[in-house]
Order: sequence, then C-alpha cells, then structure tokens
Amino acid sequence: MSAVLLVRLKITDLSAWTALTTGRRLVAPGYSLNRIAREQLLLFTPEPGIKAESFERALGEAVRHSNFFVNPNKESYRLLTSAERGESWTPPEGAWGILSRPREDTRDERLRESLLREHPMPGLLAIRRAKVWWLWTRGPDGTPATAYFSGALGELRDQKHGLLVNPHAEAALILTGALAWSRVERFLTDPAPAFRAAA
Amino acid sequence: MSTAKIAVVQIPGVNCEYETTRALASVGLSARIVRWNEPASVWSEFDGYVIPGGFAFQDRVRAGAIAAKLPAVDRIAAEAESGKPVLGICNGAQLLVEAGLVPGFHQGRVEMALAPNAAPRRAGYLCRWVWLRASPGPGSPWYADSVPPDEVIPMPIAHGEGRFLTADPEVRERIQKEGLVLYRYVAPGGERADRYPFDPNGAMLEAAGITNQAGNILAFMPHPERASWLRQVPLELKNVWGQRRRDAVGRWDALEGPGPGRILFQSLAKRLRLHAAQEARP
Repeated sequence: MSAVLLVRLKITDLSAWTALTTGRRLVAPGYSLNRIAREQLLLFTPEPGIKAESFERALGEAVRHSNFFVNPNKESYRLLTSAERGESWTPPEGAWGILSRPREDTRDERLRESLLREHPMPGLLAIRRAKVWWLWTRGPDGTPATAYFSGALGELRDQKHGLLVNPHAEAALILTGALAWSRVERFLTDPAPAFRAAA
Repeated sequence: MSTAKIAVVQIPGVNCEYETTRALASVGLSARIVRWNEPASVWSEFDGYVIPGGFAFQDRVRAGAIAAKLPAVDRIAAEAESGKPVLGICNGAQLLVEAGLVPGFHQGRVEMALAPNAAPRRAGYLCRWVWLRASPGPGSPWYADSVPPDEVIPMPIAHGEGRFLTADPEVRERIQKEGLVLYRYVAPGGERADRYPFDPNGAMLEAAGITNQAGNILAFMPHPERASWLRQVPLELKNVWGQRRRDAVGRWDALEGPGPGRILFQSLAKRLRLHAAQEARP
C-alpha cells in the first residue's frame, strides 16, 4: 500500500473559483453548481516487497519541515499513511470528484530525486501526481446529477461542453462515492485508458 | 485601397497586446486593441484578429481554458468561418486549441491540447530563442508567404504549456498528411530538431505552429512580435540574423530595421492586401 498526500490551498483558490463561475455559465437552467474545490494528490509508492511504513516517518518529517510539498502559509494538507488511509477514499460530504492525471507517465522523477538528495527514504520507488476537483452540484430532481455535470464540466469536448479535463493531455476518473484506494492506485500507475473521440 | 484593420484581442491577463499592435503597424496594417467584452457588433468591423500572448485569466484551470469560453471567441470563430485570418500567439494559440478552432477537422470539437513542456529531463516554463522552418501547407499564403525557401528563422519562446499533443491518432495523421504544421522547430542548420534545446518542449511533429484546414487560423507558440525589430535579436545568435545584429551595433537606424519575426506579419499583410485588391475588382 502506498502513502497519499493531499494538498489544497487555504488561501482563496482562484482556479477553483474561476472554474465555478465559468462552470455556472455552462450548465442548463435547473442545474446548480454550488461549489468547487481542488486538491493535488501525491502517491508515494514503495518498491516491490517493501512496506510503505519504511519511508513514511521520513516522509512525514519532509512534509512538515521542508518546502518540497507544502507551503504552510498558503496550503493545508492531509498525509494519509498506509495504515491510516483505510480501504477506500470517500469524497467530502455532499461532493463528488473528478480525479485527473496526465495521459503520460504520472511519475515525478525530478521531485523524487531532489527529495531523496535531502531526505533519504529507503524503499520509496515513485512519486506520482494527480489532481482532484470536488464538486457540489444539484440537478432539477434534487440529486447531484453527476452524469449531467461530468458531461457539462468534465472532459472538454467543444467550446460549450467540458472544462476541467482536456482529454488529449489528461485522463479522468469520476468519484461518486467511496472508491477503493487500490482502484485509485491502479488509475495512477497503469497506462491511461485509451482515448475515445467524442461522438 | 483601404488598409486592412486588425483587432488585437485584449483579454484580462494577456500582456503582449501593445508590442503586437506595433508589430502589425510596422507592416502597414491598421491594428487596434479591442477589449474582450466589446459589443458583439464590433468584431465584424475587422479584417483579421490577433490573440496575443500572456496569461489570460492567469491560466486558471489550464492555459487558454477559460478564455476559450468567452462570447468574443464565438464572434471571432464566426468571422473566421468567412475566411478572415486569426493568429493566436502563445497564450492565444492555447486559446485557439482549447476552443477547438485548430485543427478543426470536426467543427468546434477540441482535438488537441497544449500540454506542459516535456523535453527529456526538462520541464516547466521555458524562455529562450529557438529555430524554426516553414513547411508548405494551407497556411502558407497567410503566414509564411514572405519566408524565403529554406530560411531558418530564429524566434523567442516563453511558455510552460507549449507542447502540441493529440490523443487521437487519426487527428495526428491528418495534421501531418494535410500539411497543417506550418512552422516546425529545427536545429540551427535546419536539420530536424531531434533533441533539446532545438526541440524545446516535446511537441508532436516538432510543431511550433499548426493551422486549421483552410489555413486562415494559426496557433503559433513562439513570439514573432518580440523579434520584429533587429534590436530585439540577441547579439550572440549564431546565424545570419546574429551577424546582422552585431553589424548594427552603434547604428540606430539599422537597429530599427526588421527582425526575423516580422516575416510572419509581412505575410499576413501581403495576403490581406491581395484579398482587398481582389475584392475591389469590378
């Protein structure tokens, strides 16, 4: 099991704010987009046969005492160790998510190398990056209308449809409820799903 | 014959509108900065459009993603349908791609991305001079007509997300087959840019500029407006442009002469003049 670091701005996230105001112009009457939040996700994968516990203590120190991952003046974070993170990832209350990753290799090798130069972490194989957009939405029937909103605001299709993910550079996974971490890990470590051209 | 009128589109966050206007004026075009929220009727008054570089809406969400949704972009797209030219420079190129105007095989559909730079072991924002070569294609009459054959053109780039990319193999194949890569990164001698720094960002097909099928819309990542005067050329550049620049040291009139980037604006002006002459014919 890997360790996960989730980082979000505690100052105003202007990207999320602008996504919200732009998104509201893209949805049909009767659908309400109430809030958008954004988090960076870093996945710390152990070498085969090694447990993540071997580097988690050092990782925690690096997160707390270095500027590699978090600027405490501007960001807050949650470090979910392999023991603490549980079996699945649950969206914040009332929200659902769009997890996006680059279509190419998600590993950030430069970050790993520079981190290890200062903070040896035996057994750390890879650091992978992704981004999650949390959305609080409501359709005319009072449900979150996830399918409608993921079409309207998720993968970019044309000038009027899609916003948060450009599918030529990124792949996306929709999180409508608790999702097993093993599935999240696979989404980040496997090759991106094949591109499907819009109909 | 009246001078062609060009709108330089000012979107909150762009920052190259003034030098772009000057570069257009230097080739005899009548350029005016037009705000993004001007009334819809304003856009049809112009003969062409340039979307300059910068950081529209601070590149929030993705470079060009928010600006691509503006009503002004709808108007410009409609004018482009009638054959008017649209040049997107750097952030303007990102906007055109995010709006689905380039390459535009299926009208309005987004078929590419301008992804983060990804040269081997180099990532992030990159600001340097690169070498370009024009290839024949539908955009040639609009944006490369004044380029001498085999000319290697130095030009500056300044971007973090400049890597033309499509996940659709059919789109890539058509871009190549139909000659839509109008400008490519090359090595200083004109050879293929097979490595950094000649290929600065890992773009597919070494593309620096891609047009639509009609050729009138160009998404161009380098900054020709920052290379429109000889004084803007770095002294240390190792080709004929560098030599011209060194020869001009101490001669103010020579330094005010054309730089390599002006060639793109000259092509545009020439095409617009030709178009106006054809229109004026009885």
